[in-house]
Amino acid sequence: MTTLEIDGLTKSYGTVKALQDVSFDVPGGELFGFVGSNGAGKTTTMRIILGVLRADAGVVRWNGAPVDLGVRRSIGYMPEERGLYPRMKVGEQLVYLARLHGLSAADATAAMEHWTEVLGVAERRDDAVEKLSLGNQQRVQLASALVHGPDILVLDEPFSGLDPVAVGVMSDVLRGQADKGVPVIFSSHQLELVERLCDRVGIVKSGRLVASGAIDDLRATDTLAWTLAASGVGLPDAPPGVSVAPDGDGRWRVEAESADAAQAFLASAVSTATVTEFSPVRPSLTDLFRDVVSETEEVA
Amino acid sequence: MLWLIAHREFRTRTLSKANIISSAIMIVLIVGAAVILKPILSSDDEAAVVQVDPATAELVPYLEGVAAAQELDYVIEEAEVVVPGADGEMPEGVTAMIAGTATAPELYLGGGDGTLVGLVDDATRALALETEVTALGGDPAAVSGALDAAVPTVVMVGDSDDFDSGTFFAGLVVIVMLFIILIQSASVIMMGVVEEKSSRVVEILLATVRPATLLGGKVLGVGMYALVQAASMVGPIIFAAWYLDLFATLNLEAGPLLVKFGVWFLLGFAVFIVFFGGLAALVSRQEDIGAVTTPMMLLMMVPLYLAIYLVPSNPDGTVTQVLTQIPFFAPFMVPMRSAFGAITTAETLLAVTICLVTIPLLTWVAGRVYAGAVLNTGGRMKLADALKRG
Repeated sequence: MTTLEIDGLTKSYGTVKALQDVSFDVPGGELFGFVGSNGAGKTTTMRIILGVLRADAGVVRWNGAPVDLGVRRSIGYMPEERGLYPRMKVGEQLVYLARLHGLSAADATAAMEHWTEVLGVAERRDDAVEKLSLGNQQRVQLASALVHGPDILVLDEPFSGLDPVAVGVMSDVLRGQADKGVPVIFSSHQLELVERLCDRVGIVKSGRLVASGAIDDLRATDTLAWTLAASGVGLPDAPPGVSVAPDGDGRWRVEAESADAAQAFLASAVSTATVTEFSPVRPSLTDLFRDVVSETEEVA
Repeated sequence: MLWLIAHREFRTRTLSKANIISSAIMIVLIVGAAVILKPILSSDDEAAVVQVDPATAELVPYLEGVAAAQELDYVIEEAEVVVPGADGEMPEGVTAMIAGTATAPELYLGGGDGTLVGLVDDATRALALETEVTALGGDPAAVSGALDAAVPTVVMVGDSDDFDSGTFFAGLVVIVMLFIILIQSASVIMMGVVEEKSSRVVEILLATVRPATLLGGKVLGVGMYALVQAASMVGPIIFAAWYLDLFATLNLEAGPLLVKFGVWFLLGFAVFIVFFGGLAALVSRQEDIGAVTTPMMLLMMVPLYLAIYLVPSNPDGTVTQVLTQIPFFAPFMVPMRSAFGAITTAETLLAVTICLVTIPLLTWVAGRVYAGAVLNTGGRMKLADALKRG
């Protein structure tokens, strides 16, 4: 199984500790969401993975061996600060970048044609990058990360500044890459998107990885709670082991000791009122993030 | 990889509109200047016509004799001279007219040709001398033979390869061209480095290639560009020199000059451009380039001016000899000193060797500065910090 391991990364800028012992794994085929406040250390981590920055301590491994230049050349990277030659033509630029990653001229051209087609910028191949709208520049930037057929994808804020259509295209592409067995790490502040797209997430705060795991695991809570929405005559009294509290107009929060107790209560509620919704209450990623981050500081 | 980077750099620079236009203007200016200068410089070639009145015809052989002895080219024709008024005009195509008598000729000059005055003067004296020698019963031929033989033998003592305005001029052309091309290449590589930094594309590039490879590719690419630049300058200049017959006039040989230019172009380029490339990485924005490069530009002006002003007055003094061996000075000092013939082969070889040894060292330092500074954004970075991080 192919796995990207981030092991104990530590990095300081002068007296500022940018990263402290950050470790996580991303197996092939997984979408890993990397979230955290501004300045938490996401970009630093990604730059270290790419070898653009050197870590003070810690190591990045790919399939068990430390990542070297050869592996790095097989990484698709989208830096936070977008970077392309502004005056170079889109097609020429993608071919150049693909060739820098080791593709032959013919393969590079074919890959450029494929990705500009998929990302919807095919008709802009002969335009200079600076002539494109920001959204299209972003698509070209993604194409530049994909054009050499990477084994690993590391994308810093790939969704920022995209319209909903482009977000859809980008999501599909990332999912498609993961389905091909590529580990995909991306950072984002759009938590709903991360929640929807990712298999696992890592939350960083002040240079530390404070939570990481499958989203469902992170969202699991000790107390079982449901939201119930109903209209009609009224709700039955809560049986033992179940507590019901109003939660807005026609809505209630139901807490139960067990799922069975909750089911029993639901059955009796259906018989006395018209139940329109009965769903488990779980903290969203946004709630989790807010909890984690606000333990000591505010969301930046 | 290196080649890909160099190739892109070369293409972008050479095929840029600004470059094509400026090169074209340069070529047109040099060739145009040659074409315009040609008639001015070669107007002397057409022999001036001097009309001699039959009354003074006796002077003609003397005029021709003196002209031949002094290697002057005049067409002397006998014609009825109509003396022009003081504010009148000379007939078309005639430079001067001689009237009066053979012993007291009157010279009418249409332009400020002072040589002719001397020529007529000499001819008249020769005629007068011969007349007097004959009158005294002597042999004019023997007298003039004796006069011709009375020439001192001149022996030059000391350095025979003394100052020669022709080679000085050639040396000047070589180092000034070197300077222009180095300045041009330096600004090109700095713009290239800072462009990659400010557009942040460098981050993608560095994820694929090592900083030293990136810098090396850029230097190579800009080097090829500079070679094309140099060719587009040297080509027309050689053409102009050939067209104007300057090589013969100044007693120069194109081959050694080109070799000299070539060698010091390569060495000077490596020494300066590698370093400029590294330094440019210290800044993040085009407008900050000046802060780092002004000192470097000044550093280049110093050897240029020293070569121009110090070498002629003191071609083999101690200071000059020491400066010749310093890599940043050598590309300017050596061509200039060799123009004066004031440099030994050993000195030249030593200077070349020192440059060759310094280049890898400089490349290493520049690569370190580049690696340390190229991802730094925002303000200007200190050199020491860049070296530490690199």
